[in-house]
Amino acid sequence: MSNLAVAVSFSDRYQSALLDYLTAPEELALLGGYDLGRSALAEGLGLLELATIHSAAVAAALNRPLDDKDRARLWDAQNTFLIEALSPFEMGNRAFQDANTVLKRINDMLEGQAKRIAYALHSEAGQLLASLHIELAEAGRELPPEKTTHLTNIRETLLEIENRLRNLSHELRPPVLDDVGLAAALALLAEGVSSRWGLPVIVTVGLKGDLPAAIENTVYRIAQEALTNVAKHADASRADVRVRQIDRKVVCSIRDDGIGFDDSAGFRKQRPGIGLAEIRERVSALGGVVRLGLNGDRGTNLTIEIPLDT
Amino acid sequence: MADIVYGLPETTVGWKKRIRREARVRIDSAADIVVARRQARALATEAGFSICDSTLITTAVSEMSRNILEYAQQGEVTISMLKNGTRSGVKIVVKDCGPGIADISQVMQDGYSSRKGLGIGLPGTKRLMDEFEIRSKVGSGTTVIMKKWNR
Repeated sequence: MSNLAVAVSFSDRYQSALLDYLTAPEELALLGGYDLGRSALAEGLGLLELATIHSAAVAAALNRPLDDKDRARLWDAQNTFLIEALSPFEMGNRAFQDANTVLKRINDMLEGQAKRIAYALHSEAGQLLASLHIELAEAGRELPPEKTTHLTNIRETLLEIENRLRNLSHELRPPVLDDVGLAAALALLAEGVSSRWGLPVIVTVGLKGDLPAAIENTVYRIAQEALTNVAKHADASRADVRVRQIDRKVVCSIRDDGIGFDDSAGFRKQRPGIGLAEIRERVSALGGVVRLGLNGDRGTNLTIEIPLDT
Repeated sequence: MADIVYGLPETTVGWKKRIRREARVRIDSAADIVVARRQARALATEAGFSICDSTLITTAVSEMSRNILEYAQQGEVTISMLKNGTRSGVKIVVKDCGPGIADISQVMQDGYSSRKGLGIGLPGTKRLMDEFEIRSKVGSGTTVIMKKWNR
Protein backbone atom coordinates (compact mmCIF):
# COMPACT_ATOMS: atom_id res chain seq x y z
CA MET A 1 0.00 0.00 0.00
CA SER A 2 1.29 3.48 -0.75
CA ASN A 3 2.00 5.81 2.13
CA LEU A 4 -0.95 7.96 1.11
CA ALA A 5 -3.32 5.02 1.11
CA VAL A 6 -2.05 3.97 4.52
CA ALA A 7 -2.56 7.52 5.80
CA VAL A 8 -6.10 7.74 4.41
CA SER A 9 -7.34 4.46 5.87
CA PHE A 10 -5.46 5.23 9.07
CA SER A 11 -7.11 8.62 9.23
CA ASP A 12 -10.58 7.02 8.98
CA ARG A 13 -9.77 4.52 11.69
CA TYR A 14 -8.35 7.27 13.90
CA GLN A 15 -11.39 9.46 13.47
CA SER A 16 -13.80 6.69 14.39
CA ALA A 17 -11.68 5.62 17.39
CA LEU A 18 -11.58 9.20 18.67
CA LEU A 19 -15.36 9.49 18.22
CA ASP A 20 -15.79 6.25 20.17
CA TYR A 21 -13.81 7.72 23.03
CA LEU A 22 -15.64 11.05 22.96
CA THR A 23 -18.98 9.26 23.03
CA ALA A 24 -18.00 6.83 25.78
CA PRO A 25 -14.75 7.89 27.49
CA GLU A 26 -13.68 4.44 28.58
CA GLU A 27 -10.50 2.41 28.74
CA LEU A 28 -11.45 0.24 25.75
CA ALA A 29 -11.56 3.29 23.50
CA LEU A 30 -8.22 4.54 24.88
CA LEU A 31 -6.68 1.17 24.09
CA GLY A 32 -7.92 1.81 20.55
CA GLY A 33 -5.94 5.07 20.50
CA TYR A 34 -2.86 3.34 21.82
CA ASP A 35 -3.15 0.53 19.26
CA LEU A 36 -3.49 3.09 16.48
CA GLY A 37 -0.36 4.89 17.67
CA ARG A 38 1.44 1.58 17.77
CA SER A 39 0.47 0.63 14.25
CA ALA A 40 1.32 4.16 13.04
CA LEU A 41 4.82 3.60 14.39
CA ALA A 42 5.04 0.16 12.81
CA GLU A 43 3.73 1.34 9.44
CA GLY A 44 6.21 4.22 9.38
CA LEU A 45 3.65 6.97 9.63
CA GLY A 46 5.38 10.15 10.80
CA LEU A 47 4.70 12.00 14.02
CA LEU A 48 3.61 15.09 12.10
CA GLU A 49 1.21 13.05 10.00
CA LEU A 50 -0.27 11.61 13.17
CA ALA A 51 -0.65 15.12 14.65
CA THR A 52 -2.36 16.31 11.47
CA ILE A 53 -4.70 13.32 11.47
CA HIS A 54 -5.54 14.02 15.10
CA SER A 55 -6.30 17.69 14.41
CA ALA A 56 -8.58 16.76 11.52
CA ALA A 57 -10.39 14.20 13.68
CA VAL A 58 -10.90 16.78 16.45
CA ALA A 59 -12.15 19.33 13.92
CA ALA A 60 -14.65 16.77 12.62
CA ALA A 61 -15.81 16.03 16.17
CA LEU A 62 -16.28 19.74 16.89
CA ASN A 63 -18.27 20.22 13.72
CA ARG A 64 -21.68 19.60 15.27
CA PRO A 65 -23.93 21.48 17.69
CA LEU A 66 -22.33 21.38 21.15
CA ASP A 67 -22.94 23.35 24.32
CA ASP A 68 -20.05 24.85 26.32
CA LYS A 69 -19.95 21.97 28.77
CA ASP A 70 -19.74 19.39 25.98
CA ARG A 71 -17.06 21.46 24.31
CA ALA A 72 -14.92 21.56 27.50
CA ARG A 73 -15.36 17.82 28.02
CA LEU A 74 -14.46 17.13 24.43
CA TRP A 75 -11.34 19.24 24.78
CA ASP A 76 -10.06 17.26 27.78
CA ALA A 77 -10.96 13.96 26.17
CA GLN A 78 -9.18 14.64 22.90
CA ASN A 79 -6.05 15.49 24.88
CA THR A 80 -6.16 12.19 26.79
CA PHE A 81 -6.70 10.35 23.52
CA LEU A 82 -3.81 12.12 21.78
CA ILE A 83 -1.37 11.33 24.60
CA GLU A 84 -2.45 7.71 24.37
CA ALA A 85 -1.80 7.59 20.62
CA LEU A 86 1.59 9.27 21.06
CA SER A 87 2.76 7.00 23.84
CA PRO A 88 4.30 4.36 21.48
CA PHE A 89 6.24 7.19 19.84
CA GLU A 90 7.54 8.18 23.27
CA MET A 91 8.98 4.67 23.59
CA GLY A 92 10.54 4.99 20.15
CA ASN A 93 11.97 8.37 21.03
CA ARG A 94 13.58 7.07 24.21
CA ALA A 95 15.08 4.19 22.25
CA PHE A 96 16.56 6.72 19.84
CA GLN A 97 18.11 8.73 22.68
CA ASP A 98 19.62 5.59 24.16
CA ALA A 99 21.02 4.61 20.78
CA ASN A 100 22.62 8.05 20.50
CA THR A 101 24.33 7.67 23.85
CA VAL A 102 25.72 4.34 22.73
CA LEU A 103 26.94 5.83 19.45
CA LYS A 104 28.67 8.62 21.34
CA ARG A 105 30.40 6.09 23.55
CA ILE A 106 31.55 4.08 20.53
CA ASN A 107 32.77 7.27 18.90
CA ASP A 108 34.83 8.16 21.98
CA MET A 109 36.24 4.67 22.09
CA LEU A 110 37.27 4.78 18.43
CA GLU A 111 38.81 8.21 18.95
CA GLY A 112 40.87 6.86 21.86
CA GLN A 113 41.93 3.90 19.73
CA ALA A 114 42.95 6.16 16.86
CA LYS A 115 45.01 8.21 19.29
CA ARG A 116 46.84 5.14 20.57
CA ILE A 117 47.47 3.77 17.08
CA ALA A 118 48.67 7.19 15.91
CA TYR A 119 51.10 7.31 18.81
CA ALA A 120 52.36 3.78 18.16
CA LEU A 121 52.94 4.57 14.49
CA HIS A 122 54.52 7.92 15.12
CA SER A 123 56.74 7.30 18.11
CA GLU A 124 57.30 3.61 18.56
CA ALA A 125 57.56 2.49 14.96
CA GLY A 126 59.43 5.71 14.16
CA GLN A 127 62.08 4.98 16.78
CA LEU A 128 62.52 1.39 15.62
CA LEU A 129 63.03 2.57 12.07
CA ALA A 130 65.53 5.20 13.21
CA SER A 131 67.61 2.56 14.98
CA LEU A 132 67.46 0.45 11.83
CA HIS A 133 68.99 3.35 9.92
CA ILE A 134 71.90 3.46 12.36
CA GLU A 135 72.42 -0.32 12.07
CA LEU A 136 72.41 -0.07 8.29
CA ALA A 137 74.96 2.72 8.33
CA GLU A 138 77.20 0.57 10.56
CA ALA A 139 76.81 -2.42 8.26
CA GLY A 140 77.60 -0.22 5.27
CA ARG A 141 80.90 0.82 6.76
CA GLU A 142 82.08 -2.80 6.92
CA LEU A 143 81.31 -3.49 3.27
CA PRO A 144 83.48 -2.73 0.23
CA PRO A 145 82.20 0.37 -1.62
CA GLU A 146 81.03 -1.62 -4.72
CA LYS A 147 78.59 -3.64 -2.58
CA THR A 148 76.73 -0.72 -0.93
CA THR A 149 74.22 -0.05 -3.76
CA HIS A 150 71.97 -2.69 -2.32
CA LEU A 151 72.08 -1.01 1.09
CA THR A 152 71.29 2.37 -0.44
CA ASN A 153 68.17 0.88 -1.98
CA ILE A 154 67.13 -0.56 1.36
CA ARG A 155 67.68 2.80 3.01
CA GLU A 156 65.49 4.52 0.44
CA THR A 157 62.71 2.03 0.95
CA LEU A 158 63.00 2.59 4.70
CA LEU A 159 62.65 6.34 4.24
CA GLU A 160 59.54 5.74 2.16
CA ILE A 161 58.08 3.50 4.88
CA GLU A 162 58.80 6.17 7.49
CA ASN A 163 57.06 8.74 5.35
CA ARG A 164 53.98 6.62 4.91
CA LEU A 165 53.78 5.79 8.60
CA ARG A 166 54.09 9.47 9.48
CA ASN A 167 51.27 10.39 7.08
CA LEU A 168 49.11 7.58 8.39
CA SER A 169 49.68 8.61 11.99
CA HIS A 170 48.93 12.21 11.10
CA GLU A 171 45.72 11.17 9.39
CA LEU A 172 44.57 9.33 12.50
CA ARG A 173 45.40 12.16 14.86
CA PRO A 174 47.83 15.02 14.33
CA PRO A 175 50.61 14.28 16.89
CA VAL A 176 51.09 18.00 17.32
CA LEU A 177 47.82 18.10 19.28
CA ASP A 178 49.26 15.81 21.93
CA ASP A 179 52.67 17.46 21.82
CA VAL A 180 51.72 21.11 22.28
CA GLY A 181 47.90 21.33 22.65
CA LEU A 182 45.22 22.80 20.39
CA ALA A 183 46.13 26.51 20.66
CA ALA A 184 49.80 26.02 19.81
CA ALA A 185 48.92 23.46 17.14
CA LEU A 186 46.65 25.99 15.42
CA ALA A 187 49.38 28.63 15.67
CA LEU A 188 51.83 26.24 13.99
CA LEU A 189 49.24 25.47 11.34
CA ALA A 190 48.80 29.22 10.70
CA GLU A 191 52.58 29.66 10.42
CA GLY A 192 52.73 26.86 7.88
CA VAL A 193 49.92 28.34 5.77
CA SER A 194 51.54 31.79 5.92
CA SER A 195 54.93 30.57 4.78
CA ARG A 196 53.62 28.10 2.19
CA TRP A 197 50.94 30.28 0.60
CA GLY A 198 51.85 33.79 1.69
CA LEU A 199 48.50 34.19 3.43
CA PRO A 200 48.67 35.85 6.86
CA VAL A 201 46.54 33.93 9.37
CA ILE A 202 45.64 35.23 12.81
CA VAL A 203 44.68 32.65 15.44
CA THR A 204 42.77 33.54 18.61
CA VAL A 205 41.94 30.80 21.10
CA GLY A 206 39.92 31.45 24.26
CA LEU A 207 39.06 28.24 26.08
CA LYS A 208 38.43 27.27 29.69
CA GLY A 209 40.63 24.21 29.97
CA ASP A 210 41.30 21.27 27.69
CA LEU A 211 38.71 20.01 25.23
CA PRO A 212 37.82 16.34 24.71
CA ALA A 213 40.21 14.68 22.27
CA ALA A 214 37.51 14.16 19.63
CA ILE A 215 36.56 17.85 19.59
CA GLU A 216 40.20 19.03 19.46
CA ASN A 217 40.80 16.70 16.56
CA THR A 218 37.76 17.93 14.66
CA VAL A 219 38.49 21.64 15.24
CA TYR A 220 42.09 21.17 14.09
CA ARG A 221 41.10 19.19 10.99
CA ILE A 222 38.46 21.69 9.97
CA ALA A 223 40.78 24.66 10.47
CA GLN A 224 43.35 22.83 8.35
CA GLU A 225 40.87 22.04 5.60
CA ALA A 226 39.29 25.50 5.62
CA LEU A 227 42.61 27.40 5.63
CA THR A 228 43.95 25.32 2.74
CA ASN A 229 40.81 26.17 0.81
CA VAL A 230 41.05 29.86 1.60
CA ALA A 231 44.69 29.87 0.53
CA LYS A 232 44.02 27.98 -2.71
CA HIS A 233 40.74 29.43 -3.90
CA ALA A 234 39.55 32.51 -2.01
CA ASP A 235 42.04 35.11 -3.27
CA ALA A 236 42.08 36.55 0.25
CA SER A 237 44.62 38.91 1.84
CA ARG A 238 44.14 37.52 5.34
CA ALA A 239 42.30 34.90 7.34
CA ASP A 240 41.20 34.66 10.96
CA VAL A 241 40.74 31.54 13.01
CA ARG A 242 38.87 32.02 16.27
CA VAL A 243 38.13 29.27 18.76
CA ARG A 244 36.17 30.10 21.89
CA GLN A 245 33.89 28.57 24.43
CA ILE A 246 30.41 30.03 24.77
CA ASP A 247 28.44 28.47 27.63
CA ARG A 248 28.74 24.74 27.06
CA LYS A 249 29.64 25.01 23.38
CA VAL A 250 32.88 25.24 21.46
CA VAL A 251 32.58 27.76 18.64
CA CYS A 252 35.19 27.88 15.91
CA SER A 253 35.04 30.35 13.06
CA ILE A 254 37.29 30.70 10.05
CA ARG A 255 36.87 34.00 8.20
CA ASP A 256 38.56 35.44 5.17
CA ASP A 257 38.27 38.60 3.09
CA GLY A 258 38.39 36.84 -0.27
CA ILE A 259 35.99 36.52 -3.18
CA GLY A 260 33.29 34.78 -1.13
CA PHE A 261 30.94 32.49 -2.95
CA ASP A 262 27.90 32.78 -5.09
CA ASP A 263 24.93 31.81 -2.98
CA SER A 264 22.74 30.82 -5.91
CA ALA A 265 25.44 28.85 -7.70
CA GLY A 266 26.34 27.01 -4.51
CA PHE A 267 29.71 26.64 -2.95
CA ARG A 268 31.26 24.05 -5.17
CA LYS A 269 31.33 26.14 -8.30
CA GLN A 270 33.46 28.91 -6.88
CA ARG A 271 35.63 26.93 -4.54
CA PRO A 272 36.31 23.35 -5.51
CA GLY A 273 37.62 20.88 -2.96
CA ILE A 274 36.24 22.58 0.09
CA GLY A 275 35.21 19.25 1.54
CA LEU A 276 32.22 20.92 3.11
CA ALA A 277 30.36 17.62 3.15
CA GLU A 278 33.17 16.06 5.16
CA ILE A 279 33.23 19.03 7.54
CA ARG A 280 29.49 18.67 8.13
CA GLU A 281 29.88 14.95 8.70
CA ARG A 282 32.64 15.41 11.26
CA VAL A 283 30.73 18.10 13.12
CA SER A 284 27.40 16.34 13.15
CA ALA A 285 29.05 13.18 14.47
CA LEU A 286 29.74 15.28 17.58
CA GLY A 287 26.21 16.69 17.68
CA GLY A 288 27.27 20.08 16.34
CA VAL A 289 26.23 22.39 13.50
CA VAL A 290 28.04 24.07 10.60
CA ARG A 291 27.15 27.51 9.25
CA LEU A 292 28.59 28.90 6.06
CA GLY A 293 27.94 32.53 5.26
CA LEU A 294 29.22 35.53 3.40
CA ASN A 295 31.35 37.83 5.48
CA GLY A 296 29.75 41.23 4.87
CA ASP A 297 30.46 42.32 1.31
CA ARG A 298 33.79 40.57 1.10
CA GLY A 299 34.84 37.09 2.13
CA THR A 300 33.48 33.94 3.66
CA ASN A 301 32.69 32.94 7.21
CA LEU A 302 32.61 29.30 8.23
CA THR A 303 31.40 28.70 11.77
CA ILE A 304 31.09 25.41 13.58
CA GLU A 305 29.49 24.88 16.96
CA ILE A 306 30.03 21.72 18.96
CA PRO A 307 28.25 21.04 22.27
CA LEU A 308 30.50 20.00 25.16
CA ASP A 309 27.96 17.93 27.05
CA THR A 310 26.65 15.34 24.64
CA MET B 1 -13.31 -12.91 31.87
CA ALA B 2 -10.92 -11.23 34.20
CA ASP B 3 -11.32 -11.50 37.89
CA ILE B 4 -10.00 -8.54 39.81
CA VAL B 5 -8.85 -9.08 43.34
CA TYR B 6 -8.47 -6.02 45.45
CA GLY B 7 -6.14 -6.27 48.37
CA LEU B 8 -7.17 -4.73 51.65
CA PRO B 9 -5.19 -1.73 52.86
CA GLU B 10 -2.26 -3.73 54.11
CA THR B 11 0.08 -3.44 57.00
CA THR B 12 3.72 -2.53 56.66
CA VAL B 13 5.70 -4.61 54.22
CA GLY B 14 9.39 -4.15 54.84
CA TRP B 15 10.22 -1.26 57.14
CA LYS B 16 9.47 1.65 54.82
CA LYS B 17 7.30 0.60 51.98
CA ARG B 18 3.65 0.09 52.54
CA ILE B 19 1.32 -1.43 50.01
CA ARG B 20 -1.85 0.56 50.23
CA ARG B 21 -3.88 -0.92 47.44
CA GLU B 22 -3.45 -3.65 44.97
CA ALA B 23 -5.29 -5.02 41.98
CA ARG B 24 -4.66 -8.39 40.41
CA VAL B 25 -5.89 -9.05 36.89
CA ARG B 26 -5.88 -12.38 35.13
CA ILE B 27 -4.85 -12.07 31.51
CA ASP B 28 -6.11 -14.62 29.02
CA SER B 29 -7.83 -12.60 26.34
CA ALA B 30 -7.46 -9.23 24.66
CA ALA B 31 -10.37 -7.91 26.72
CA ASP B 32 -8.33 -8.46 29.88
CA ILE B 33 -5.76 -5.97 28.65
CA VAL B 34 -8.45 -3.31 28.93
CA VAL B 35 -9.15 -4.32 32.54
CA ALA B 36 -5.45 -4.29 33.46
CA ARG B 37 -5.04 -0.89 31.82
CA ARG B 38 -8.02 0.54 33.70
CA GLN B 39 -6.58 -0.65 37.02
CA ALA B 40 -3.09 0.65 36.19
CA ARG B 41 -4.40 4.06 35.19
CA ALA B 42 -6.56 4.33 38.31
CA LEU B 43 -3.70 3.44 40.64
CA ALA B 44 -1.22 5.68 38.86
CA THR B 45 -3.62 8.60 39.08
CA GLU B 46 -4.25 7.86 42.73
CA ALA B 47 -0.50 7.76 43.36
CA GLY B 48 -0.37 11.32 42.04
CA PHE B 49 1.20 10.71 38.63
CA SER B 50 0.55 13.28 35.91
CA ILE B 51 -1.63 12.36 32.95
CA CYS B 52 1.51 11.78 30.84
CA ASP B 53 3.17 9.48 33.37
CA SER B 54 -0.11 7.66 34.03
CA THR B 55 -0.36 7.06 30.29
CA LEU B 56 3.19 5.69 30.16
CA ILE B 57 2.49 3.36 33.09
CA THR B 58 -0.64 2.17 31.30
CA THR B 59 1.46 1.68 28.16
CA ALA B 60 3.90 -0.49 30.11
CA VAL B 61 1.00 -2.66 31.32
CA SER B 62 -0.30 -2.97 27.74
CA GLU B 63 3.05 -4.02 26.34
CA MET B 64 3.60 -6.63 29.02
CA SER B 65 0.03 -7.97 28.77
CA ARG B 66 0.43 -8.28 25.02
CA ASN B 67 3.59 -10.29 25.63
CA ILE B 68 1.66 -12.66 27.91
CA LEU B 69 -0.98 -13.28 25.23
CA GLU B 70 1.62 -13.64 22.50
CA TYR B 71 4.11 -15.94 24.22
CA ALA B 72 2.40 -17.56 27.22
CA GLN B 73 -1.33 -17.37 26.34
CA GLN B 74 -2.21 -16.60 29.94
CA GLY B 75 -0.83 -14.94 33.03
CA GLU B 76 -1.44 -12.34 35.65
CA VAL B 77 -0.74 -8.64 36.17
CA THR B 78 -0.60 -7.24 39.69
CA ILE B 79 -0.56 -3.52 40.17
CA SER B 80 0.10 -1.99 43.54
CA MET B 81 0.81 1.37 45.03
CA LEU B 82 4.19 2.08 46.63
CA LYS B 83 5.06 4.46 49.41
CA ASN B 84 8.59 5.28 50.45
CA GLY B 85 8.72 8.17 52.88
CA THR B 86 7.14 11.04 51.02
CA ARG B 87 7.55 9.39 47.63
CA SER B 88 4.80 7.40 46.06
CA GLY B 89 4.86 5.14 43.07
CA VAL B 90 3.44 2.05 41.44
CA LYS B 91 4.73 -1.46 41.20
CA ILE B 92 3.64 -3.79 38.44
CA VAL B 93 4.31 -7.50 38.56
CA VAL B 94 3.66 -9.45 35.37
CA LYS B 95 3.72 -13.19 35.74
CA ASP B 96 3.15 -16.07 33.37
CA CYS B 97 3.76 -19.80 33.28
CA GLY B 98 4.80 -19.77 29.62
CA PRO B 99 7.86 -21.23 27.95
CA GLY B 100 10.27 -18.82 29.70
CA ILE B 101 13.18 -16.91 28.21
CA ALA B 102 16.48 -18.65 27.61
CA ASP B 103 18.58 -15.55 27.05
CA ILE B 104 17.23 -12.43 28.74
CA SER B 105 19.94 -10.09 27.45
CA GLN B 106 18.95 -11.10 23.95
CA VAL B 107 15.27 -10.22 24.33
CA MET B 108 16.22 -6.88 25.90
CA GLN B 109 17.82 -5.75 22.65
CA ASP B 110 15.94 -3.37 20.40
CA GLY B 111 14.95 -5.16 17.24
CA TYR B 112 14.81 -8.60 18.74
CA SER B 113 11.60 -10.55 17.96
CA SER B 114 9.39 -9.09 15.25
CA ARG B 115 9.39 -5.47 16.40
CA LYS B 116 11.86 -4.20 13.79
CA GLY B 117 13.80 -2.07 16.24
CA LEU B 118 10.98 0.40 16.87
CA GLY B 119 11.96 0.56 20.51
CA ILE B 120 8.74 -1.01 21.79
CA GLY B 121 8.19 -4.37 23.49
CA LEU B 122 10.42 -5.35 26.42
CA PRO B 123 13.27 -2.87 25.92
CA GLY B 124 10.78 -0.07 25.20
CA THR B 125 8.84 -0.84 28.37
CA LYS B 126 12.01 -0.81 30.44
CA ARG B 127 12.69 2.76 29.31
CA LEU B 128 9.28 3.89 30.57
CA MET B 129 9.89 2.66 34.10
CA ASP B 130 12.43 3.50 36.82
CA GLU B 131 13.10 -0.07 37.84
CA PHE B 132 12.75 -3.14 35.68
CA GLU B 133 13.66 -6.71 36.46
CA ILE B 134 13.04 -9.96 34.60
CA ARG B 135 13.20 -13.36 36.18
CA SER B 136 12.69 -16.30 33.94
CA LYS B 137 13.18 -20.02 33.85
CA VAL B 138 12.85 -22.04 30.68
CA GLY B 139 9.86 -24.32 31.02
CA SER B 140 8.35 -22.66 34.04
CA GLY B 141 7.63 -19.08 33.09
CA THR B 142 8.60 -15.44 33.35
CA THR B 143 8.07 -12.71 35.93
CA VAL B 144 8.66 -9.04 35.21
CA ILE B 145 8.79 -6.68 38.17
CA MET B 146 8.77 -2.98 37.41
CA LYS B 147 8.38 0.22 39.40
CA LYS B 148 7.93 3.83 38.66
CA TRP B 149 8.30 6.59 41.23
CA ASN B 150 6.47 9.87 41.23
CA ARG B 151 8.80 12.85 41.32
